Amino acid sequence: MYQLSALELREKFLKKKTSAMEITRYFLDRIHKLNPQIKAFISILEERAFAKAKTLDENIEKNKYLGKLAGIPIIIKDNMHIKGEITTCASKFLTNYKALFDSTAIRLLEEEGAILIGKSNMDEFAMGSSTERSGLFPTYNPWNLSCVPGGSSGGSAAAIAARLSPLATGSDTGGSIRQPASMCGVVGFKPTYGRVSRFGLVAFGSSLDQIGCFGTNAKDLGLMMEVMGRHCTKDSTSLNLPGENYLDNLPESLKGTTVGVPWHFLEDLDNEVYDNFKASVDILKELGAKIVDINLDIMKYCIGVYYILATAEASTNLARFDGIRYGIRSASAKTLDEIYDISRDEGFGAEVKKRIMLGTYVLSSGFQDAYYKKAQKIRTLMIRACDEAFEKCDIIAMPVSPSSAFEIGAIQDPLEMYLQDLFTIPASLAGLPCISIPSGFDSKNKPLGFQLIGPQMHDVSVIAKAHAFEKASAHTKKIPPLFDKEHYE
Amino acid sequence: MSNFDKQSLESLEKLCRIKLTSQEEVEFLDSIKEILDYVEQMNEIDTEGVAPCNYVLKEMQMNTTREDKVGKTLPREEFLSNAPEQIGGMIRIPPVMKQ
Repeated sequence: MYQLSALELREKFLKKKTSAMEITRYFLDRIHKLNPQIKAFISILEERAFAKAKTLDENIEKNKYLGKLAGIPIIIKDNMHIKGEITTCASKFLTNYKALFDSTAIRLLEEEGAILIGKSNMDEFAMGSSTERSGLFPTYNPWNLSCVPGGSSGGSAAAIAARLSPLATGSDTGGSIRQPASMCGVVGFKPTYGRVSRFGLVAFGSSLDQIGCFGTNAKDLGLMMEVMGRHCTKDSTSLNLPGENYLDNLPESLKGTTVGVPWHFLEDLDNEVYDNFKASVDILKELGAKIVDINLDIMKYCIGVYYILATAEASTNLARFDGIRYGIRSASAKTLDEIYDISRDEGFGAEVKKRIMLGTYVLSSGFQDAYYKKAQKIRTLMIRACDEAFEKCDIIAMPVSPSSAFEIGAIQDPLEMYLQDLFTIPASLAGLPCISIPSGFDSKNKPLGFQLIGPQMHDVSVIAKAHAFEKASAHTKKIPPLFDKEHYE
Repeated sequence: MSNFDKQSLESLEKLCRIKLTSQEEVEFLDSIKEILDYVEQMNEIDTEGVAPCNYVLKEMQMNTTREDKVGKTLPREEFLSNAPEQIGGMIRIPPVMKQ
């Protein structure tokens, strides 16, 4: 059952070839057996999953509406609220925080018949590119257990790669869906900013955060987007547009499509990554696409701009964690001031503290113009550069990450870690829909990813083109050897 | 080069309500300085006359408002279920006024 796509699994359930209970038991068993090797989960929602499966099995007998995601297990990144379940954000601060409401995206998934099966590990508050900065424990890459899965949504990506579930959610602020998808050899989609409601997603960088999805193929993600991509009145940045059909007219060819490649921006690429990228561009050509050169040179400044804006927004968003109303209050705090100071000191990991401090610094009087305002102005120029690029092409192709998955502990310097995000941040700053699709392996047999980026609102077209690429390249079919077996074998 | 020094870090500790250990202080000083030096490359870009980006999407360049209607709020007991300490239906904190 683990090789099936979400759509195939749903079909089996709807045709009564298997019950929701059987599906749930199968994947929970698989998680219990195989997850200890990769540690992708923070919690497993056994009770909730079985209750949902029972309802689905009753409803199918009564011919009731089952939903677009009927019978499909889905993993939720642990920074999205599910009412009644713990949301840790992989932070010691929130290990006891029970969500009091559902995030909109999760509510939509459950309403359409999804079985929420567990919550996945991440870098603490989504701040990191390797899941090593989880405040709880690191996650391991299913392709190579001594390597990181990428991050921050590393738990979701690793679990999908190990086929512990067909679908998962993630959140992407500067690449947190695409980069782990690339490093784990799965498909990861970040929609247009505002396409999926952020209500109930614990905020990191509010002008950048976007919920998206992981799966083993583009079509499954289209299905998930049909459910999650809805307007929501509880998020003032939610796009007020009707839901869209992602699964109609999926193309087999890219005839008539112009693909832009920012060759100059990519000139310092590592050889192996460059060769892999070039081979992927050749596949687009074979599919009939026309390739044109575009200028995104301004994006070489994207990391500086991103780390100013994202940390500034994070410093504001994380002020709420003070040990007063919820979360862990330090047992050693005797005064009100100590509650703030010691709870925050004990609750936050080093990377989170650093980003709060950096963000506070770039917003402080005297420095705001030089850092925050300057970064916002450059962001305007970057959005303009993307607009100009899309006058020449329908979609942009780029690599996802400058390297394949690195060894655990290999990158200690924070700036070096930030540089990992060079090719994912541009689409985040410009609010663009983008996808990472597996594009083969490097010489160490670690997966690499290929990124397609569309104009704002063109989410459907990005998934459609990724589908065509995936059909022609066939890299999405590959499963890590350690996990390409039945768990009871 | 940025002027970020030990004093800047100490002032940030107060502003952010985060107390660092002495080992963290050394490490943070270095890495924040390194990042601030790195972002100075932004000055290579001329932004004269460019408006700061307040909205990522053109569609959002207007206020999103809703009707001012009374909605459902969380029941007190539910809200308090996450409070670290409570007393008489309220959150408890140590005394802030001297007797």
